[in-house]
Amino acid sequence: MPGSDSASGSRSGTSGRGVRWALLALGALVLAAGPAFLGNYWLRVLSNVYMYAVLAQGINIMAGYTGYPAFGNVVFFGIGGYATGILMVKLQAPFVAGLVTGMLACPLLVLLLGPALLRLKGHYFAIATLGLNEAIREFVANASPLTGGGMGLSLPLPPGGAAANAASFYYLFLGAMLVSTWLTWEFSRRNLGLACRAIRDNEGKAEATGIHTTRSKTAAWMLSATMTGMVGSINAYWLAYIDPPSVFDMTIAVKSFVIFLLGGAGTVLGPVVGAVFVECLATLTWSKLLNWHLGAMGLLIMVVVMLLPSGFAAAARNAPSLARIVAHVRRRG
Amino acid sequence: MLTLQVVLSGILLGGLYACMAMGFSLIWGVTNLINLAHGSMIVVGAYITWLLVTHTGVDPFLTVPVSAAALFLIGYPIQRFLLNRAMRTTLFMTLILTFGLDMVLINVNLALFTADVRSITVPYADLALRFGEIRLPYTRLAVFAIALGLTLALHLFLAHTRTGQAIRATGQNARAASVLGIDTRAVYATAFGIGAALAGAAGSLVAVLYSFSPVVGDGFTMKAFVVVVLGGLGSIRGAIVAGILLGVVENLVSGLLVPGYRDAVSFVLLVLILVLRPRGIFGNRYLADARI
Repeated sequence: MPGSDSASGSRSGTSGRGVRWALLALGALVLAAGPAFLGNYWLRVLSNVYMYAVLAQGINIMAGYTGYPAFGNVVFFGIGGYATGILMVKLQAPFVAGLVTGMLACPLLVLLLGPALLRLKGHYFAIATLGLNEAIREFVANASPLTGGGMGLSLPLPPGGAAANAASFYYLFLGAMLVSTWLTWEFSRRNLGLACRAIRDNEGKAEATGIHTTRSKTAAWMLSATMTGMVGSINAYWLAYIDPPSVFDMTIAVKSFVIFLLGGAGTVLGPVVGAVFVECLATLTWSKLLNWHLGAMGLLIMVVVMLLPSGFAAAARNAPSLARIVAHVRRRG
Repeated sequence: MLTLQVVLSGILLGGLYACMAMGFSLIWGVTNLINLAHGSMIVVGAYITWLLVTHTGVDPFLTVPVSAAALFLIGYPIQRFLLNRAMRTTLFMTLILTFGLDMVLINVNLALFTADVRSITVPYADLALRFGEIRLPYTRLAVFAIALGLTLALHLFLAHTRTGQAIRATGQNARAASVLGIDTRAVYATAFGIGAALAGAAGSLVAVLYSFSPVVGDGFTMKAFVVVVLGGLGSIRGAIVAGILLGVVENLVSGLLVPGYRDAVSFVLLVLILVLRPRGIFGNRYLADARI
């Protein structure tokens, strides 16, 4: 069926690929023009969408491609934020230095702990990462001279007015999303991604075929941690105030997990689609449910798991697409 | 002398940890669900005790069966009508599902009881058994005894009743169990209900010893998990030994070395065990490995 082939767009030739790149470029242009016609409120909402897309992309690399549910990945969100905050407050370093430090600290921690934690599988790995998050949060809350402890840390305010800042953070988060999506795409087609997929499907056999499983898993987690740390760092500068409960927050972790699941595990664009859906829904409805937003989020999660256990990507694959309907009619006609 | 006191307090605390972990371990072992709402269920039990004690003035230890019964009545339908439907989905889905449940429970607790920190004081809180300088409060001794009693009761129930045997059979091989005529879906619901009941009982005991608020549940879930990993999934003896080990190490570290790191201790212990003894302290196989 040629019709359905071009609809899924993955196996078509060079012309199809050209069209796809043109569409992507157009999309990027539209997004880049956002600040020209959007108010500050919607810039903030979209910045949040991009941030969650990156967080979900980080989970996608570990859970979707490698099969390791890094449930507590939000720990890198906090570490990125605190690395940036400490550098900017204690050393008066510029934001870029803080960002780079945040992005280096996270993979470094994975390098130290990953080989031990990645011995665990499934539930055991999931909860161990959750424990890592708890432990680091407790450490940060107790190391007051450096981190401000429970009082939190106030970062220097970015220069410029509110409108200019809304636009620049919009671009920062947009860039982070584009970079992480590109990285995921590169990862998925390179040897590392293939090795990780082999590990996901059957770790024993992957090892038997000569894949260095521990090294591949650790490398994938380092990539995932770097992405998460990157937005953690931007987020800290954006909010200008962080404290342990707000950045080492499991609700952020679960939200990004839901986005990842909704978008479709192990697909490059899934997390982006999921983030747009969940964050827009959150913004539109939960502002009206102040005291019940936690419960509403919990209920939404439960409904999603019940109704769409394989996510949007699978649902879209099975849904009647226009091309498929045309092909169907043609066959009948 | 101080060290001995700290170790003994740790042992008494360990009984409570074992009780928290048993319900978690039963649910995990039988249904293969990690119940991330376990800690919040413990907190619900604590609030039931708090309500009864502040409104009727009854002794908190008498409320243990009430909390257990209430949590069974909450847990059974949750598994029967909600979680049973997600048993065949992936690990991610079940984790997310129980976390969603956790968020709902936290929100309900916040709405009913506010975010204020609550605690219970019993008139005999200051009485203690004394051996020279060593002091063991009666409340802690009673908590230890009840926690161990509940754990033992669970063991006897699983080993000697028909329902208990059906639960164990389903946990070992659900397909074979259903071929033999066991209604596995009902067994899942019963096992979840009993796990929740143990959480509720543990919650009543927590209320006697500690102050609590709706958001402290996650720490309990983490402790239950660490105890199960250390002691081996489904092992009652393992849960008791690992609970006591965790209690002692936690007390030693936070009491003698660095205060404020109580929760980090469980994580460090977990990583150490994983590196040194990847199969747990008793060398059990991780049963869940085979079924992810």
